[in-house]
Amino acid sequence: MTGARPSACAAVGAVRSNGLVSSAFHRLDVELDLPFDFLPGQFAMINEAGPRAWTFSRPFSILAAEDGVLSILYRVVGRGTAALAALGPGAALQVLGPLGEPFPTPQADRAAVLLGGGVGLPPVFAWLQRWGRPGDHAFFGARDGGEVPWDLLGDRWRVSVDRGEGLPGGRTAFTGVVTALAASAPDLPSHGSATVYACGPGPLLRAAADLARRRGWTCWVSLEEHMGCGYGVCKGCVVQVADDGRIRNATCCFEGPVFDATRLPDLGSPAPVPHAASGDIPPGSCGGAP
Amino acid sequence: MTWPSWWNLEVTAPFQLGPRELPGRVWTASGCFAYGLHAHEFTAADCPTPYAGLGAVVTKTVTPVSRAGNPMPRLVETPCGALNSIGLENVGFDAFLDTVLPELEALGVPTVVSLAATSPEAFGPMVRRLHEAAKGFAHWHGVELNLSCPNVAEGGHDFGGSPATVARCVAAARAELPDRALLAKLTPNVADIVQLAVAARDAGVDAVSAINTVVGLDVDLRTGRPYLPRRFGGYSGPAILPIALAKVDQIVQGAGVPVVGVGGIAAPEDALKFFALGAVAVQVGTAQMRDPFAAARIARALGQCSSS
Repeated sequence: MTGARPSACAAVGAVRSNGLVSSAFHRLDVELDLPFDFLPGQFAMINEAGPRAWTFSRPFSILAAEDGVLSILYRVVGRGTAALAALGPGAALQVLGPLGEPFPTPQADRAAVLLGGGVGLPPVFAWLQRWGRPGDHAFFGARDGGEVPWDLLGDRWRVSVDRGEGLPGGRTAFTGVVTALAASAPDLPSHGSATVYACGPGPLLRAAADLARRRGWTCWVSLEEHMGCGYGVCKGCVVQVADDGRIRNATCCFEGPVFDATRLPDLGSPAPVPHAASGDIPPGSCGGAP
Repeated sequence: MTWPSWWNLEVTAPFQLGPRELPGRVWTASGCFAYGLHAHEFTAADCPTPYAGLGAVVTKTVTPVSRAGNPMPRLVETPCGALNSIGLENVGFDAFLDTVLPELEALGVPTVVSLAATSPEAFGPMVRRLHEAAKGFAHWHGVELNLSCPNVAEGGHDFGGSPATVARCVAAARAELPDRALLAKLTPNVADIVQLAVAARDAGVDAVSAINTVVGLDVDLRTGRPYLPRRFGGYSGPAILPIALAKVDQIVQGAGVPVVGVGGIAAPEDALKFFALGAVAVQVGTAQMRDPFAAARIARALGQCSSS
């Protein structure tokens, strides 16, 4: 689907810069000790360096990786990201990546409709940076004008905000959700001639899948999920997917985080049916080895 | 670091465990490295592969029929460890034998297969089929019995809590496994783990793995309810290292059966503590989840320190 994925490395990094790029989003740039390449939609697991780090590394979609410097965008949402935000230049980090299934490459006969919400921006931002063409369309949504990383986005992105406050002077934004902004755009591709690439919170992904269904477009979504290992071994981040009409668990980190929206019942299609695999040992009653 | 003067074990050299010689004494623990197939292309500056120097990868537990596992969320991070309630999601025994095991052999991964069953006697036929499927495999070294699952035939009580049941499980597997190592992974969630180790020893294990996860629970204060849908989970990570060391010490002193130490190992020093107590090998579990090279780095560090 996407060609060869770059091999993952377990790198040691040193923080080059780490700070706010808007009222809510931090950008972290890490210098790595190994060459690092990625495809848009892939992510990295990041942790303090050494064996006494947090129990689980945290997954972050990759914003960019150039000249041995990995860049991510994050919002402080818990212990891990709060600790990350406190790190200054030179702080040591361990980085495992790139990981996961990336977004598909562009199709010549289909324009791209990129939809990013909040810190779901990096995968679609990286897609546009890597593969963007003049006829592609980029939309970004945030909670308010202060959250928007205006300098990072540049002129290519059309912006929506839930609330109008915090808009810098000279900036304009659509008030409403990002999918409404996209749906109202006068220059959108016709029925059947576009592919949606989306990343953001659940409501955004459901709206993106719905928009694509109604317009006959293909839709790829990148899921945000809590993860344990990030490389498919712990089974701690499963999502339900429908294959051949049956629902099964897929590891978000290894089979995803990018999925064809039509495989995800949570996004409204298709109708769920019982699990293909039902065990002979009562579910949930096993302690011991995970 | 400077290693202690008593330390002289060659952890990356072959050693005899029952009827089988295994390639080393640092292993990955069941459930924390899947089937050992996910990390072959990973690179690091200080370690050639995540498998370098490993004595064994203990596979994710395989059950007779595939399992979808438990609902999400399945993991909770605590300040010094993690709770898991994965529910033994696995591909099932047939798929494991048909596809996973041959791939492990082809890749040269030293493998110990973790098995769970629905009754003690069910372990016998599983081990027999495994033995037939892996006939001639050079890299399949043995079986670890995961006894922390409910005994469906006897009211759903865990196999692992009863010495008599542990003995039946071990005896059933041992009868079909004359030429590979047989281990029983013991639960710490009992009053006296030594009784379990003695029962396993008398029924014919080559070693016991100690310990499995500790039953734990954490509460989501936003809802006032346990984080995990099944309420309880298996607690692992650095927090359980002292518990594991205590249980290993009790077994070494009281049961006289070889012990593979597991529980909370994240650094070479942690592994050394198990060896100091007399463990014949160690397993790295939760640390493997954040660093696929964790066990290989520990093997490398301990290998260097014994030779210097």
